[in-house]
Parts: sequence; structure tokens; C-alpha cells
Amino acid sequence: MTDYGHDLLFGAFVTPSATAGAELAVVADRAGLDLVTFQDHPYVARFHDTWTLLSYAAARTTRIKLAANVLNLPLRQPAVIARSHATLDRLSGGRIELGLGAGAFWDGVEAMGGRRLTAGQSIDALGEAIDIIRQVWDTSTPGPVRASGAYYDVSGAKRGPAPAHAMSIWLGAYKPRMLRLAGRAADGVVPSLSYLPGGINDYADLNRHIDEAAEAAARPPAAVRRLLNINGTFSDFGRSFLDGPAEQWAEDLAGVALDHGVSAFILASDNPADLELFAAEVAPAVRDLVAAERA
Amino acid sequence: MLHRLEFGALVTGAGAAVEAERRGLDLVAVQGDGAWTRLSWIAGVTERIGLVAQIDLAEHAPAVLARSAASLDLLTGGRVTLALADEPGTAEAVEIVRNVLDAGEPRPYRHLGEHYRVPQAQRGPLPAHRIAIWLTGADARSVRLAGRTAEGWIGTPDELAATGKLLDEAAAEVGREAAEIRRVVILDPRAASASEPGAADLFELSVAALLPLVVEHGAGTFLLRTDDPDELRRFAELREVVLRELPEPPPAPIKPAAVRAKRRPGIDYDNVPASLAATAVEPGDLDYARVRSTYMRGGAPGLVLRPRSTGEVADALAFVRAHPGVPFGLRSGGHGMSGRSTNDGGIVLSVQALDTMEVLDAAERLVRIGPGARWADVARFLMPYGWALSSGDYGGVGVSGLATAGGVGWLAREHGLTIDHLRAVKMVLADGSVVRASDDENPDLFWAVRGAGANFGVVTSFDFQVDEVGDVGFAQLVVAADDPADLLVRWGRAIEAAPRTLSGQLIMGPPRPGQPAFAQLMAVVDAADPSVIVDTLQPLAQLAPLYNQNVVLTPYAGIVNNAAEGYHSGQGDPVSRSGLIEHLTPAFAKAAAELIASGAVHWFQIRTVGGAVADIPPAATAYAHRSANFSIVAMGSSERRVDAAFAPLRSHFDGMYLSFETGLDHVADAFPPPTLARLRELKRRYDPAGLFRDNFALGDQS
Repeated sequence: MTDYGHDLLFGAFVTPSATAGAELAVVADRAGLDLVTFQDHPYVARFHDTWTLLSYAAARTTRIKLAANVLNLPLRQPAVIARSHATLDRLSGGRIELGLGAGAFWDGVEAMGGRRLTAGQSIDALGEAIDIIRQVWDTSTPGPVRASGAYYDVSGAKRGPAPAHAMSIWLGAYKPRMLRLAGRAADGVVPSLSYLPGGINDYADLNRHIDEAAEAAARPPAAVRRLLNINGTFSDFGRSFLDGPAEQWAEDLAGVALDHGVSAFILASDNPADLELFAAEVAPAVRDLVAAERA
Repeated sequence: MLHRLEFGALVTGAGAAVEAERRGLDLVAVQGDGAWTRLSWIAGVTERIGLVAQIDLAEHAPAVLARSAASLDLLTGGRVTLALADEPGTAEAVEIVRNVLDAGEPRPYRHLGEHYRVPQAQRGPLPAHRIAIWLTGADARSVRLAGRTAEGWIGTPDELAATGKLLDEAAAEVGREAAEIRRVVILDPRAASASEPGAADLFELSVAALLPLVVEHGAGTFLLRTDDPDELRRFAELREVVLRELPEPPPAPIKPAAVRAKRRPGIDYDNVPASLAATAVEPGDLDYARVRSTYMRGGAPGLVLRPRSTGEVADALAFVRAHPGVPFGLRSGGHGMSGRSTNDGGIVLSVQALDTMEVLDAAERLVRIGPGARWADVARFLMPYGWALSSGDYGGVGVSGLATAGGVGWLAREHGLTIDHLRAVKMVLADGSVVRASDDENPDLFWAVRGAGANFGVVTSFDFQVDEVGDVGFAQLVVAADDPADLLVRWGRAIEAAPRTLSGQLIMGPPRPGQPAFAQLMAVVDAADPSVIVDTLQPLAQLAPLYNQNVVLTPYAGIVNNAAEGYHSGQGDPVSRSGLIEHLTPAFAKAAAELIASGAVHWFQIRTVGGAVADIPPAATAYAHRSANFSIVAMGSSERRVDAAFAPLRSHFDGMYLSFETGLDHVADAFPPPTLARLRELKRRYDPAGLFRDNFALGDQS
């Protein structure tokens, strides 16, 4: 059993497409989910701009938290990411978290005029960006932002605004180097189950890298929340992992929470009925099962 | 006076924006830190008011900004305007934003400039309306840039007075009219100039103070810089007074110079009938991206006419008659394989707006459907009554293209072709006359419309008698096709032996290296009892080892609920060949298997006909090849390769189906000699000048 002691979050992972994105955020909000998230691919013309959609959706919802899943750093500037997230967090009463990725699909990034980096470079750039973002948010330290790295130089930039709440930075992370960055500097990781080559059992390796890096940086491993994007099918008869009725989903997810310390499940679906079922039947059942084990 | 006047507020907070909307102001603008985020939030808490953000280009890459702007415009139904300060790089940024928003242009956008590099950006998304770009800056260089490229210029009252002439001159130099540039005046009661002598009146917000700015300097938009509710209220009251006292602005919106520059030769754009002018689309218009291409092809028509009534269809045909040398296409859903629902440089008449649906007689199950409806819409409309009308296999297809050619669909063997349900049409003939055709009125025309309708006129409403259809079984099977010819023969036999309640299709593609050969079998069984459905499907499921199977019980509407969202953006020029055949004989199957293996076609499909389709005598409609049990379509990209590979199949065919054919010279295969002779005689009577000439023209070869 692995448990970092976080409260459980249940969310939606929504395609930022033309018509449905904002409506699904409203559905998720009303259904009682904790979180709605959107992927970010600015080089794909058929998708909405994620930040615009997220800002608009934040205004049309009342309770739910919102985050990019995850924001494409190479086509956005760290200081602008920091300020726009803080601005929206203040407008929304503290409902925004920051999902951030080092970038993938470099052909697309380059086509839009972004800088092509190797995987290693992109992680270093992400590390610099996290530092800049935290400095911009930190209005209690006097003086301007000091950051002149290999990838970003924003020394002298003004600080602020500060977010309305202690905003978390969640990283899309899979490989050791990225996981070590998360353990050292982030507040969470948000991998997708479908990208874990060995399935859910790979999460044990993810945790090991994160925990070691956190401890090396004198942080408690619990400083890093473990999130998971999931996909599955609600069907009448249980067949396999996350393919079956809601009760089976609850058992599957409670198992993941207890075995791997995953405390946030974000369902990739654009189907309102799936999101409602996830909120109404799966989430409370997982909470009960996990609470019973923890007690 | 150049524009309809607008009154807005330049605010900092979302609360002021909501108040501005409540008071009836026309727009709200934000600037400064986080302007785009704040505007996006304001968009979410308002419903109607126009939205302007002044963007700091140091914080927004222009290509990403374009997508952001298009997104918010789509989310808000077209409420967004961008304002940019004139800095180094602004001219490039304007160009990048405009080009990325130009989603109708198929090629990626490339810009390698001094300030920005965008090597190969996808274009789009297409915004909901043409997003205006306003520029600030009172120095001569900035004003000239605005005059040449922007839809608006922003400044103070003093700046407007000083720069108006220069703005006009710069516009005129590039062929733009002064009215293409809206002059936006910021009124700031708290600015230093507000305390200057003579300025007091202006910020008292009186009509007398604003009028000279409008009349002498062409101001079109006033933005009051305030978050104060009381000032917003007074400004909204002033708006009411000014709009009451000022004369009406010029009527028709002008076509910007950039749009006029894209006009095609030979089309008399300035004489488009008044009834159609507001909805017509030409190459520079925003909506062009939505209407230029079809499901399968790229197109570049010179003018798309979009009539909203039968009368407007007649107006459109009069305009087409005045353009005898110009290509002319008819478009409903834009799926036509022959490619004639778009063209290059010609006129397209789109009936998309004629999409009404109504029940005429519930006892007789008689419905009236507009030509622009799509079959998914029709199915959804009929579902609550427990009715369905067999159409094609795809819900995105438009009504009139299919319902004037045949309609080989999911219930064909049980209920016949779509045209077999037609009881009457209203149509506009080549000479502009409006007629009804049915068994009793113009029966010749009614006969011709059912199979060769595109040659005779534009149908503006279809009266169909539809069927009672409850839930049906819908099966999708993937089966091994190690011996494709053997599979075809046995599938054909199974279909012919099946009850009429079963209709379906078989799809095969070219072999893929490293993958076993397979076929997709789809079938509808019109039965509500799962055990009957399973029993009926058994012979198909036993044809070969199953790789995958999925059987669901669904309303008919659920099967054709598969239309993609958005508009068509097809590219290229596909080649499609069609054939109708009675039996899938071993000799035919061998030839077909060789065709599939040749790699010349990427799509090979056989749909079931026969059954009820064959109950109708061949002479009863212009669609005459009634004895066929199967309709075959093969698609590829090279006409030469497809024809060479398809040739061995031809001797097995008994005719072909127009809707699945791109070879416009194959008219004689679509209609047997007596049918063709009668069609040509009717063509001489109803369309002697050959107005409807571009889509399988019947010609005069008798």
C-alpha cells in the first residue's frame, strides 16, 4: 500500500473542440466533479486555444477547479503563464491550477515558430520556467524577478499578480528525468494511463523516481500529488480494467489509489453521460472504499 | 457619417463589463495586464456585448493569438475584436493573425519576417465572424499602417481631429474606402486633457460635444474609460439620444477592397439579385471557407448563392442564365462524388438554407422535407413518430442530391430506394417557372426527377411517404478475407438468401503489409427482438473467422447519426467508379479480388439493393436498373489506374448508379436506352438551353 494522504479528486479530461468544450465544463461542474481539464495543442487548428477556453469556462462555472492538461510550454512564455493563471485565479475565486508540460510534437511547435528542443533540453527549460513562475507569483519577496537561464532570461520583470490561492504546478511526466524534476520542484504529476507502456503497474516506478528526488531535495514525497488521466468504458458486464459497471470502476480505482497513492482520477471523455456517471456513482464509491482502508 | 455609431466602455473589471451590457452599451474593451484572460472571463459572464482586447504583442505570439481570438469568437458567437498597439513588428503581426484566421485557404501559412517566424502554421480555426483588427498610434507611420491594413483606428478626440485626413489618404492609396476603417475615440474624463479649456463639454457627455467628432471627423465608436456605474448609465442614456437624433448610416455594408480583389472573371458581382446579395458568398468572404469545398474535393467557386426560398431560387437561376459560359453547380449537403457541387471560378447554387421539415399527413406518414436538410436531421425528425426513411449510409449527406438520384440505404431491401418514397416535388425549372410534379401533375417530370433530377431543375421541397420503423439491429463485423473472391461469392449468396429485413454492405481495402486481409461487413436487421436479429445475422457471422463484432439495438436515427461537425474541407480529386450487378458470380468475384489486390483503389464497397427496390418496374422511374441485387463502388486517385483495374469488372455489370460515379461521360451506363431516350426528349422540353449542364448532362445525342 502506498498512500500520500491526499484527499481524492475526480475530474474530466475534455477535448478542446469547437462546440463541446465549454459545455462539458458546465456539465462537469453541475455533476459535482472536482476538476475539469483541457489538453493544449496550439499547433492544431481544429482545437480551441486552451487558455481562452479555460478562462471562458471558468467564468461559466461556479465551483469546479480548472487546469490545462497540460499547457504547452514551448509556445508560451513562463511569465505570461504565471500572470494569466494568477489573473484567472483571482477572477475565479481560487479555482485554477497549473498543468504544465515540457512539450511534445516538436514538428508542430516548430511550424508555429517555436523553438525545437531535445527532450533533455525541454526538461531543463521547464525547470527554469517553474522557477520563473514561482518568482512572479511571489509578491512577498522584494525586488524584480531574477532569472537568467539558458532558455529564458526575464531578469528585471516585475512580480505579480499573486494567485488567490496556493496554486499547484502539475507536470505531465513519465520518464525519470522529468519525474525527478517533479519530485524536486512541482506539486503534482499528471500522466495518462494510456501512455504508460506497462499499464497502471508502471506507476510504482513513477513514484519511486518522484519520491527519491523529493527526498533528495528535502521535500516530503507527499508534497507531490499523484494524478492520473484515465479512459475506459461503462458497460453492463465487467470485462476488464475500467470496462464494466460503475461498481467495478470504483473497485478498480480504489485499488489504484491504495496501491499507488494516486489521489486524482481524470476521466478522458466528451460524453456528458459518462461524466455524470463518474461523478454520481464512481467518485463516492471510491471515496468510501479508500476511507475504509485508510481507517 | 461613415458607420452605425457604437458606444462602449473601456473597463478594468468584469463587474463594469456586466453593467455596461445591462445598460445597453454596444461593446466593452479591456487593456493592460492580462487583458486577454480578463476579456475571456468577461465573455463568459456576458451574453451579447461586443468584446475588444488591446493586446500586448510582447506577451502573445501572433500565430497563437490568432487561434485565441478565433476560439473566443466561436465561443461567443462572433463578439470579438482585436486591438494592437503600433510597435515594431505590428504590421507583421497583423498579417500573421489574418492569414492564420484564413481557414479557407488549404495550404499552411508561412511567414519568415524580420520580427516573427512562422514556418508552417495550420490555418484556423475559422472564427464565427470576420474579426476586426484595430490599431492605435497617432504618429504618421501608425496612422498610415491603420489606413492600409486595419478595420479600425483608436485614438483620443484630439488625435482623431489631427489624423483623419491621413487615414483616408493611406486607405485610398491601397484602393480602400474610408468607410472600411472605423474611427474609435477614447473618452477619458480623468485624462490630463480633460482639464484643458474647452474639454469640459466633451466629458459632460453631451450630444453637442460628440456631434462634431462624428460629422466632421467620421468617429464611429466612442469608448468611455470608466468602471463607474453612474457614468456607464449616463453614457448609455447619451447613446439613446444620439442614435435618435442622428441620421441613419449608409445602408449596405461595403465589400472591403481585399474581398473585391479576389473576385473571379466573368461573374457580374455587382448585379447579384438584391434578394440574394446578403447571403451570397464570394472568395474573400469569411464564410467562403464553409462553402468552397465538398466532403471529398477542394473547390474554388467564384460565387455561391444561398437562396432561402423558392422565389430566391428562381432569382438565382435568372442570374445563372445570364452567365452562359460560367460553370454552374448545385449543392445540398456537399457530398456529391461527381464533384459538381463545387467548381473552379463558377457559380454554385447552395440549397443549404432550405432545410425545413414538417409532417403533412400523420395518418399517411406524409412529410415535406427541404432539399438542404441532411439525412441525419431527417432521421432525428422522424424518430419521435416511430418513422424512418431509408437514405444512404451517412447522415451528413444532403437530401436533394440523393433524393433526385436514387438513395441506396440501410433499409433498401425492405423498403426500397429513397426515390421510391417520393410522392411529389416542388421545383424551379431552368426558365425560372415553379411547378409541382407528382403522378398527377407533370408526371413526365416526376418520372425524370426520380433518378435524373439534377438535369431538370432545383427541387425546393420533397413530399415523402415514410415507413414505420422501430428499433433495428445494427451489426458491424470484421471478418477474415484470406480468399477475398470466395468471401465475396459467399457473402453475395448469404445476402440474396436473407430475408428482406436485412440490408447491408461490405467494405474492403487494399492489402496492408504485415496485416491479414479482412472485410468489414455491416448490416441492419429491421427487428426489435434480439434473438431474431442474431438469427438473421448468423449466416453473415459464419462466413469467415470473426476478428471483431459489435451488434447494437438502436433507432434508425442512431445509425445515421454519424455526420461530422463543421464544414467540409475536402481536398484533391477522387476517382470513383460504379456498377450495378445482379449476382456476385465467381467470375465477377475473381475480377473484384484482383481489383482490390491491385492497389489502384483504396475503397471497395458493395451495398445491397434488390428486394423492394426490384418490386418497382424499370420503366416507372428514371432509375431503371431495378433487377440488380448489389451496387458496387470503387474509389482511387488515378483515373488511368482505376479505369485499367476496373475494366475487367464492367462486363459483369448491368448499369451503374450515378451517385457513386465520377466519370461524367458515363451517362449511357446509368440509363438503359429507352430511359435515356425519354430523358433526352424531356431535357429538350424542360431545359432546351442546357442550363443544368455540369452534372451528368443528358445532352442531345438522339
